[in-house]
Amino acid sequence: MFSIYKKELQSFFYTPFAYIITALFMLLFTYVLNTSIANMDSSMLQFSFTEIFYNVILFFIFLIPIMTMRTFSDERKFGTEVLLMTSPANVFKIVIAKFLGNVTVFAFMLVGSSLFPIVTAMNGAVVQSQLVCAYVGFFCWGIMCIALGMLISSFTENSIIAAILGEVAMLAVLFVDDFSRTAFVSQYPALQSVLDSFAAQTKFVYFAQGVIRLSDIIFFVSAVVLFLGWTIISIEKRRWNRG
Amino acid sequence: MITIENLTKFYGKNRAVNNISFTINDNEILGFLGPNGAGKSTTMNMIAGYLPMSAGTVTIFGTDISKEPTKAKQNIGYLPEIPPVYPDMKVKEYLSFCAGLKKVPRSQRASEIERVMELLKITDMKSRLIKNLSKGYKQRVGFAQALLGNPKFLILDEPTVGLDPNQVAEVRQIIKDLKKEHSVIFSSHILSEVSAVCDRVVIINKGDIKAIDTIENLESTFKDNLFLNARVAGRQEQIVSVTRAVPGVKSIAEINPVSDGVYEMRIALEGNADEIRTAVMSALLANNIQILEIFTEKPNLENIFIELINQPAKRSSLQDIVDELKDDADSSDDAADKEEA
Repeated sequence: MFSIYKKELQSFFYTPFAYIITALFMLLFTYVLNTSIANMDSSMLQFSFTEIFYNVILFFIFLIPIMTMRTFSDERKFGTEVLLMTSPANVFKIVIAKFLGNVTVFAFMLVGSSLFPIVTAMNGAVVQSQLVCAYVGFFCWGIMCIALGMLISSFTENSIIAAILGEVAMLAVLFVDDFSRTAFVSQYPALQSVLDSFAAQTKFVYFAQGVIRLSDIIFFVSAVVLFLGWTIISIEKRRWNRG
Repeated sequence: MITIENLTKFYGKNRAVNNISFTINDNEILGFLGPNGAGKSTTMNMIAGYLPMSAGTVTIFGTDISKEPTKAKQNIGYLPEIPPVYPDMKVKEYLSFCAGLKKVPRSQRASEIERVMELLKITDMKSRLIKNLSKGYKQRVGFAQALLGNPKFLILDEPTVGLDPNQVAEVRQIIKDLKKEHSVIFSSHILSEVSAVCDRVVIINKGDIKAIDTIENLESTFKDNLFLNARVAGRQEQIVSVTRAVPGVKSIAEINPVSDGVYEMRIALEGNADEIRTAVMSALLANNIQILEIFTEKPNLENIFIELINQPAKRSSLQDIVDELKDDADSSDDAADKEEA
């Protein structure tokens, strides 16, 4: 398992990929930060990092499918899936190793983004507890999206299609609660409560407010488990159906 | 020993591999032969544990691959049809990844990688990106990967495709050398290649086994395919009657005039070709017929192969026969439709 993880890291860090995506992420962060500063209320002279994270997510979710699109589709395209499948590693280990590889790149991106609070703290004050919670929430959100992106990558051998489908899925995850609050869905309270329970945004709000609730953590972790489990099933299923 | 029993694979309703069984002995190279689309790669993928089988078992040194895949796969080195290489990796990097994947102990990895690179003559390429390598070198890198960790059982799916003649000879030699320590199954659609390397061959077509035998036995089965080609000068009737009279001559398959009074003929033989040739020559000379050229046609391996794969499948059950009749009826209907159109 470790060798697959190492190979994943090589494929991200020995190529410009990890650096370019981190740079893009920081660019988005800079943009959101600058807008927040520009729109700052002159009477209070303060802004919230958690709010920035909240805004960054809107852009950030479009980066995740770019990262995960190659995870399985490229293995199929280059025929290297055979190599992994005929090695003594099983599908579970392969999926976990690849997941950890993607998570590592994501963590690298987060470390890149920590530049902004650090610089701010050097020149002013940062509410640290809130910031840590925002990071935890952001991390949870990210790994859920990674698991979902990997699942979609296992559906197709075309990585561009995987990316596009990934974007659609990310949009769905982001806006499911907006959808549940529409007048149409409000007519059906049962449906609304089901949709609400899938809404990740409302869970992130708590993190952004500096509250870590166990139920939210469980939500994100179970989403990861669900998507990764589904990925394993999807890969196994394709082996059985291949023709 | 590797045992394959009643292996069957369905792709939907389409039966790609039909109930095949054979064994691969220790230190044996088994050739796996069939035309394109015969089910070779499917079978190999099943033996390697990549594709699950619809029915049947594959036992590798006593371990059933579908029951204990991790244990069974430790003994397998697999080179698929398309070498499974990562284009963005360097050769050495790739091999080191594969060594980890195959759980080669850390202390032996470096020497193991050196060994396979040396064996496949890719040491010079070790710091090149795989995507920049030629097809032949990619093939060799894939082959090197299969040899890592010295697995006892090697599955090689068309290892010489895309290599130049020089490389083909090298790779064949490597495969022959592997026999000392390994069991090898090696697929190809070229019989002469298989006969150069393998001890026994399994011939399949459309998912059915057509023959399992040594090359020598296969050749002797088709002994009655012996022909004598001769170019002679004389009168046609005389040539025919003299030749026919020689014992061992089955028939004159062809006789064609080449120029004035010169004929080319093809004589079907029965028995020892060398003796009959001498007898035919002396008979012709005794009758003042000039022999311009004479040679025996070696039993052509490719012809044997073609003949074998074109044999109708042995039908095992009544249902199969009914199916076949139905197919025939369908195809004749199609033909009739076309004619009408």
